[in-house]
Amino acid sequence: MIVTKKLKKAFGDHMVLCGIDATIEKGEKVVVIGPSGSGKSTFLRCLNLLETPTDGEIWFEGVNITDKKSDINKIRCKMGMVFQQFNLFPHLSVLENITLAPIQLGLMTKQQAESKAHELLQRIGLTEKADSYPNQLSGGQKQRIAIIRALAMNPDVMLFDEPTSALDPEMVGEVLDLMAQLADEGMTMVVVTHEMRFAKKVATRILFMDEGMIVEENTPEAFFDHPTHPRLQEFLSKIL
Amino acid sequence: MFESLRDSFYNALIPDQRYLAYLDGLKITLLISFFAIILGIAIGILVAVVKVTAMNSKMKWLVAICNLYINIIRGTPLMVQLLIIYNLIFTSRNTNELLVGAVCFGINSGAYVAEIIRAGIESIDRGQMEAGRSLGLNYLQTMKLIILPQAVRNILPALGNEFIVLIKETSVAGVIAVTDLTKAAQYVGSRTWDILPPLVIAAACYLVLVMGLTKLLGVLERRLGKGDRH
Repeated sequence: MIVTKKLKKAFGDHMVLCGIDATIEKGEKVVVIGPSGSGKSTFLRCLNLLETPTDGEIWFEGVNITDKKSDINKIRCKMGMVFQQFNLFPHLSVLENITLAPIQLGLMTKQQAESKAHELLQRIGLTEKADSYPNQLSGGQKQRIAIIRALAMNPDVMLFDEPTSALDPEMVGEVLDLMAQLADEGMTMVVVTHEMRFAKKVATRILFMDEGMIVEENTPEAFFDHPTHPRLQEFLSKIL
Repeated sequence: MFESLRDSFYNALIPDQRYLAYLDGLKITLLISFFAIILGIAIGILVAVVKVTAMNSKMKWLVAICNLYINIIRGTPLMVQLLIIYNLIFTSRNTNELLVGAVCFGINSGAYVAEIIRAGIESIDRGQMEAGRSLGLNYLQTMKLIILPQAVRNILPALGNEFIVLIKETSVAGVIAVTDLTKAAQYVGSRTWDILPPLVIAAACYLVLVMGLTKLLGVLERRLGKGDRH
């Protein structure tokens, strides 16, 4: 579904991604882990071109999205993204946050978008928050709203950029539970996270990145139990 | 003492229906202010968005043009601008002074509004633009629906200031033969040989206008701030 070929990204002279070749198949749940500064967030942000790659190609559903001729706005409709800082729109109510893009892009009528939003809100148990504003919500609630805001577009893949890193510890669970639910339903997911238990439980494959390269990729069992690369062994010994 | 004061205000207002002169002047002042504010906002948004957008692209020359406009307008006196524009256009006989005034004040205000709005746009977290774009909205849609509404809420006090200054500055419109409130007061004064009462009356009118605008801005601020604090 997503293929990157020799993906490179530099900020000035600093090479953040040094040629990433990765393939993400439909239905896979790929977790990307690595030390800070390893380029994992940049890699994820390149996938929907929030960062423009310096070199290399990204193919999504058979289309080269790094090609200047492809319509990135159309492609982004099919790639949901969840941010570390939630990035809900503070001037809009929860309902408006969810329905804004589907309505503005003409994908749904107002009624369709609203009934879809209510359905999603019901699913996460926040129906009564539809008319609240983001600042009235807890961090966990904000992030779950952010997730269903992305889901309201009916994306084919969901990208998660450290979705629990800005949360208070007691709220991490509710967000991870929702993500695990999505995974169970067959959503294709790419998740950058530090939550090792989540990776172990949900991932179908784990990528370990260091200094702009994927140094190891494996199934969760092999990844945690038999790490081969010395950098990964060192990383795991520090965090486990 | 009190009697003579009352008489001079009576003379400034009532005989020959002089109060109508103030009302006509007030109407002109309001018209010029209103259209100048609209034009100023339009120019301000355009210039601010162009500056913010072109800053990170290959079209840096657009930023240069915007900066040139802002520098010239902010660097020269409003009255001189007014006279220059008026005399540029006055070569044709039937100029609409009111229109020239509104356009001139609008162009002037636009430069200040542009910088205020730019500050507002830059005060919004980068994540807001990214979130909008990640949902498939294009740059201008995100700007219009997500960034600008939040920016305007943040800069409303500064914008209010600018509009208050603008309303009061229209009092120099008299130099291009527009009979605005100030000019009307001067005419009445030249009739009654007593300039102070008409000027005080004009000042009171401006005060009421500005207080009304302040009130309006307060209401707007509360309505835009509904996502703010609860």
